[in-house]
Amino acid sequence: MARLLTKKAIPGKPGLSGASLDRVKRLLLGQKLNDGLIFKIFTYIMLVSISVLYLSPLFYMLSTSFKDISDLIDPAVHWIPRVLKVENYTDAFRGLYYFKALGHTSFMAISAAVLQMFSCALTGYAFARLHIPYKNMLFVIVLLTFIIPTQTMAIPLYVMFSNLGWLNSPLPFIVPALFAQGIKGALFIIIFRQFFSTLPKEMEESARMDGAGALRTYWKIMLPLARPALLIVFLFSFVWHWNTYFEPALYLKNEDFLAMSLQMDFMQGRLNDMSNSTSGLVAGTFDMNEPIKMAGALLVVLPPLILYMFAQRYFVEGIERTGLVE
Amino acid sequence: MNSLNESKPATKMSLKEHARQKRAQSARSALTGYMFLLPWFIGVLCFMAYPLLYSLYLSFHKMEVSPDGSGLSYTFVGWDNFKYAFLRDNIFPIEMFNFWRESILIIPVTVLFALIVAILLNQNFRGRMIFRAIFFLPVIFATGKVLMELFAQGQGDLPFAEQYDLSNMIYDTFPPALAEPMVGVLSKIIIVLWYSGVQVIIFLAAFRTISPSTYEAAQIDGVTPWESFWKITFPAIVPFIFLNLIYTLVDLSTYSYNPIVNHILSNMGNMKTGYGYASALGWIYFVIIFVLVALLARISASLNQRKG
Repeated sequence: MARLLTKKAIPGKPGLSGASLDRVKRLLLGQKLNDGLIFKIFTYIMLVSISVLYLSPLFYMLSTSFKDISDLIDPAVHWIPRVLKVENYTDAFRGLYYFKALGHTSFMAISAAVLQMFSCALTGYAFARLHIPYKNMLFVIVLLTFIIPTQTMAIPLYVMFSNLGWLNSPLPFIVPALFAQGIKGALFIIIFRQFFSTLPKEMEESARMDGAGALRTYWKIMLPLARPALLIVFLFSFVWHWNTYFEPALYLKNEDFLAMSLQMDFMQGRLNDMSNSTSGLVAGTFDMNEPIKMAGALLVVLPPLILYMFAQRYFVEGIERTGLVE
Repeated sequence: MNSLNESKPATKMSLKEHARQKRAQSARSALTGYMFLLPWFIGVLCFMAYPLLYSLYLSFHKMEVSPDGSGLSYTFVGWDNFKYAFLRDNIFPIEMFNFWRESILIIPVTVLFALIVAILLNQNFRGRMIFRAIFFLPVIFATGKVLMELFAQGQGDLPFAEQYDLSNMIYDTFPPALAEPMVGVLSKIIIVLWYSGVQVIIFLAAFRTISPSTYEAAQIDGVTPWESFWKITFPAIVPFIFLNLIYTLVDLSTYSYNPIVNHILSNMGNMKTGYGYASALGWIYFVIIFVLVALLARISASLNQRKG
């Protein structure tokens, strides 16, 4: 398209060529690099193709989850199954112990995310704004805790939680969150520190002048201003707690407390057991197939997905405004 | 905290007394600061410092359940656990080597991809919000078991990679030592790309730190967009490139499905080696990560200094 237009412009009308060539050039290439037509088209092509790459696993999941066996092995059926087999979902529901796991994991992820949000905001604020001797040295500790792999501490933590009797409960996730630790706690402290250090100092100072204490200033003035950062941290924390696999695999050994991320591992075994007990005479194992797995996978990610759909606008805008890094 | 009321009579105060008051006030404000940090401090002590020291202690010991069942017994074994890891364990060094060989490719690819996406998303165009929503989607999913499931079903590679037989092409053009990790990365390239969500966010935020007036000034001076990217944008985001390299490194190495992590876990349950050995592995792993991060931070800092 670009070539076509330029070609037309050159031999077209000699008298006009200078001005029109310029105009076409400006239309195509733009004044800056990024407002020309060619660049725009290029941007769209790139973005659309990357989006397709990003979304194709999701679509694959969705389409496979509705297929029955014949659709699955039929090479003619690629994306859209001939019949919607909803039983895949009911099987996945049963195999995942979905409602129990949903309740437990939601409780764990929400409470950990809320606690982490507040505790990390408090810490981040202190690092950004308060007068603290040896602050830089302390902040190096925050950075250190960010790069220490959980695996290095897994054994002592396991022993500690087991001595405290916290195994098979949500406490190993919730208590560290209360103290600004837990999953990626250090990252959240860094985010809050960056955010608070971008806010103007005047508001704080005027609050102090009016005789508000440090805690009051923080709670009444600074925290409400931090809403975009709070939202981002909450969302990240919720999702990471929801999806975490390593820690639940370590701390949750029986079925007292179910973490959603682990349930996929047990689905097959449970369905096998169930099919043996219900149709006890037929000695066959439940045929675990890809569609049920995909239905299960979709059910597992559904709650964060729904949350993201609702919060997405604020989330994207929040990132625009927080100036996450400065 | 009523500093205003207190400072009123200060005009008549002697200099000495003034200094004393100032010191007292600074001590008070330091106390407030420490109060704010108290929860974090407790957290670091209980959930970081204590486990770390304990695991360091374990790594030099052999930990066993006492024969009389009274509890745990620790026997000091010196550096044996560490020696075992490199000399006797026939999985750990190989896994480690393969992991880092692949990471050397994955980390720059992830960051470069994130940079390209961020540049594209930073443009002004219609439907920007929709694309942004799609591109942040991986942040939601990129951590779970679900991805592994997809990966296991061959959803991790590029759709056209097989069509054009890319892996054979790579084997033909590169020496096997290079080709092997390249094919390995290619087979999970989508997963790699899905891991760039946070990095894209960091780059987008980095672009916001450059003031638009700089670009305007450059434009007036007749600088081409290409030049303005390399002369204005790029220098400004160099620190963020390093930040992202570090983030990707940390993210990749603490990833739950990483083979080394699994090896550490399997050694935990292993009677012969046990917790002591698993702790030693964890420490070796941490030291390697720490050295790499320190190296990156060092390079970043020295680049910054030269610029300033």
